Amino acid sequence: MRINLNNALIISSLVGIIIAGSLTIFSVTSIDLSYFFRFLLITLISICFVAAVFYLLNINRILSAGWIILATNILLVLSVEIFGQEINGSRRWLDFGFLSLQPSEFMKISYAIFTIQYLRFYSFKFTTFRSLFLLGALFITAIPIIIQPDLGTGVVYIAFGIMLLFICGMNKKYFLGLFAALIILSPVLYNFVLTGYQKGRIISWFSSEGSLSERWNILQSEISIGSGELFGEGFLGSKQNEFNFLPEADTDFIFSIYAEQFGFVGVMLIFILLAVFILLSLNALMKQNNLSYDLSPYYLGSYFILVIGFSFLINILMVSGLIPVVGLPLPFFTKGGSSLLCFSIMLGFIFSAKGFLRA
Amino acid sequence: MRNKDLNFFKNRAYGILFIFFALLALLVARFFFLQVIKGSELKEQRELNINASESIYPKRGRIVSRDGYIMAEDTKTFSIVVDLEQKPDINAISLIADIFNKDLSADEVETKVLNSLKFSTQETILSDLSQEDLAKFLVRSSELSGFSINESYKRNYDPHPSIFHILGHLGFINDLDIEYFSQRIMGYDENLWLKVGKSGLERVYEQELRGKHGKRYFQRNARGNRKQITRVDNFVEGQELVTSINYIAQKKAFDLLKGKQGAVVAIDLSDFSIPVAVSVPSISANDLSGISSKDYADLLNDKQRPLFNRAFMGLYPPGSTIKPLLSIFSLSEGYTSWTETILDDGFFRFEEEQRVFNAWKEGGHGITNLEKALVESSNPFFMNLATKFDKDKFVNFMQSASFSSLLCVDCYPHQYSPLINDAWKQKNFGKDLYKGDFINIGVGQGYMLTTPLHLALLTSAIAKKGKYQIPHLVNNSNESPLFLENKLSNEDWERLNTSLINVVYSPNGTAFSVNAGNIKMAGKSGTSQVVDISSREEYDEVRKNPLLRDHAIFIGYAPYDDPRFAIAVVIENGESGGRTAGPIAKEILEVLTIEN
Repeated sequence: MRINLNNALIISSLVGIIIAGSLTIFSVTSIDLSYFFRFLLITLISICFVAAVFYLLNINRILSAGWIILATNILLVLSVEIFGQEINGSRRWLDFGFLSLQPSEFMKISYAIFTIQYLRFYSFKFTTFRSLFLLGALFITAIPIIIQPDLGTGVVYIAFGIMLLFICGMNKKYFLGLFAALIILSPVLYNFVLTGYQKGRIISWFSSEGSLSERWNILQSEISIGSGELFGEGFLGSKQNEFNFLPEADTDFIFSIYAEQFGFVGVMLIFILLAVFILLSLNALMKQNNLSYDLSPYYLGSYFILVIGFSFLINILMVSGLIPVVGLPLPFFTKGGSSLLCFSIMLGFIFSAKGFLRA
Repeated sequence: MRNKDLNFFKNRAYGILFIFFALLALLVARFFFLQVIKGSELKEQRELNINASESIYPKRGRIVSRDGYIMAEDTKTFSIVVDLEQKPDINAISLIADIFNKDLSADEVETKVLNSLKFSTQETILSDLSQEDLAKFLVRSSELSGFSINESYKRNYDPHPSIFHILGHLGFINDLDIEYFSQRIMGYDENLWLKVGKSGLERVYEQELRGKHGKRYFQRNARGNRKQITRVDNFVEGQELVTSINYIAQKKAFDLLKGKQGAVVAIDLSDFSIPVAVSVPSISANDLSGISSKDYADLLNDKQRPLFNRAFMGLYPPGSTIKPLLSIFSLSEGYTSWTETILDDGFFRFEEEQRVFNAWKEGGHGITNLEKALVESSNPFFMNLATKFDKDKFVNFMQSASFSSLLCVDCYPHQYSPLINDAWKQKNFGKDLYKGDFINIGVGQGYMLTTPLHLALLTSAIAKKGKYQIPHLVNNSNESPLFLENKLSNEDWERLNTSLINVVYSPNGTAFSVNAGNIKMAGKSGTSQVVDISSREEYDEVRKNPLLRDHAIFIGYAPYDDPRFAIAVVIENGESGGRTAGPIAKEILEVLTIEN
């Protein structure tokens, strides 16, 4: 990776996002300033470390372990059922003492590695069997996540998987078929698959008749965002947070607290940084001219760039009340080891993909 | 080959990138809407989230009688509420339902706890605890965390029913109350007070009694926990109200009328305050607090009308008790003199219409002058006199005698006695007044109606030789004296006084049987017809129905040489003013005289 304007912009937009995220986490948990610097340092180091490890590792070696990685990840997801901690009524976390991890978060990485490895063997040529096999694998591996229950992560995992298959060139008819199936099956899914709590979230989003507590989170989130107005209340100025009106302010709804403190201007800044990062890093991949014979890192890199981008959008669409609350982390903002580790790994893949392509 | 793959891949990746930017644009619009367009509105909502206030209600003022009895006061009351700081768990909920299983079910408690959680309100589980219940709670309070005891005030009245109509009662505010108070109290805030005075002194002196409420402003978090108090507006306690009611005499008056229906009003002539105002039957003022709507409807529909204040609102034909007033008018206008006589043979013949009016005494009173007509209550004398009345002069005189005007500074509610004139008759009967109407008016019948309060006031004016003031229950205003329109000489007044003394002390007097002894009472009895009848035989038939029997009325004052108290007593269907109402008037005047 050469240092040029493009790369400098990519890195600085990323650092900007990470600093904004750390500031917001600090303002929510607000212990003291030295804690903030420590936190920022740990975040940056861990991102650099993980990214560097994945950048330096031979990607071929990782890819060839695709089967094992996916199987291990599924086992970890299942083991949560036995060893996991229960938080907010669902078991998602594995406690490793120094950090608790949510194995389902990593599934979108594992599935991608598995799929790319599988397709690489067939030079990315899809047949009916291969298409159905990969779709089947996607849906079957989603089941352990959904039954945790964690519908949000499960649905997003499936959506990202489908996006990967789309990028890799699967025939359009499958996507049309999936879309048709979704429409036909949606009443069945709603009635038999969703739990009452999940239905509540959806109802509360579509109407004002949902229960008060369901509506409450969205309303308080919108109040936080709106209170920021044009220029925001200033750093540490979130009253919604100070008076605990926003539940899960340090995880799912952290962006509302950011918006209250830094206003519309601050939100636009994040959007610009995000747009710069996504657009420039994707362009950098696309503009590589001297490609190796293997397109795998190419697929993988662009997939992870888009996953980071869409993770941002889904979370912000959710906190601003445009889609139902699905409980998805905001990259580099949400407090939590799994999310940070997960997105650091993706960054590693993105950077290594570029480096690999240059060779 | 690879380039073809690459282009294919690029198209698809850029396709998804397009979706990404479309969503990003949507978000820009969304945040512009939330933060720039709706920003200030949402910020206001945030302030509502955080800033809250609660009212601090002062103790309502006491109402005491002139002789020092506490008739109404606020006492502490305890209730069990759901804590705002800490919510009860399922064990505490089932325990509290268990301890108070008479009044509570676990489901009820749970609903209230959930409401409290949802709306961050302090829900009341059980109010107005007895000492025993309070002790039961306190003993196990360590197991009942999440519930706490709340102190507030409750209005407590002296239970004797005699004072209910005077004091009135408190009740939940409604639209009529809001209208009433906004007209009388500057800057009235209808949302501040949940309960307000509904009648009586509680209503008239609402502003003084309730004091000024305080307010505590604080910031709270989402669980309703208080973070910090930002400001406190202090409250001002309600004023104590000292009334003119003589509690002993008031009670005595009620007890004397017990079992009957009627009213007594007495006026202290030294300051025109009201020491006694009783309406029977009545209830205890405490009975109305927390009454069920069914019980309240029963009270309203009770045929005896215990909630109706007869003393201030009841309109009765004054009967013969109007005769002293008509004497003043007649003497002033020269319709008669103390020496003029007529022959009373028990009838009055109205020549113009060839009608004959029966008088109450068979055979009549014989040769009768004004004094004898008053002492023995001659109807033909006054019927004859009334036929001479000039309509306009009469109406003017009655107006000066407070007909058609309010009769008391602070009696609520009270009613004026209608002024009978052409306009009144046109409105009710479509005709002007004519002579025949005056024949009935001359004996206080027909269209003439007065309230007991008005009768007492007229008696006061007669006792004070035409001078009077508007009466009051709480002495806080200096009323300038008023005068009955009259041209009576001092001698005329003395002779009128003598006549009224003889009503009680002369063996021929209609109230001689009262046996007034040495309390020096002067007075006039009256018997007013409930139904219009023209012969004594007819009345014997009518009186079989107790509700159609005549009303017994007595007005009086004492001591007659320097009047201090005036009184009016009305006993519905009591028949004889002299024999039924007179003794009651005497006993009350006795108590009042001794008490002072």
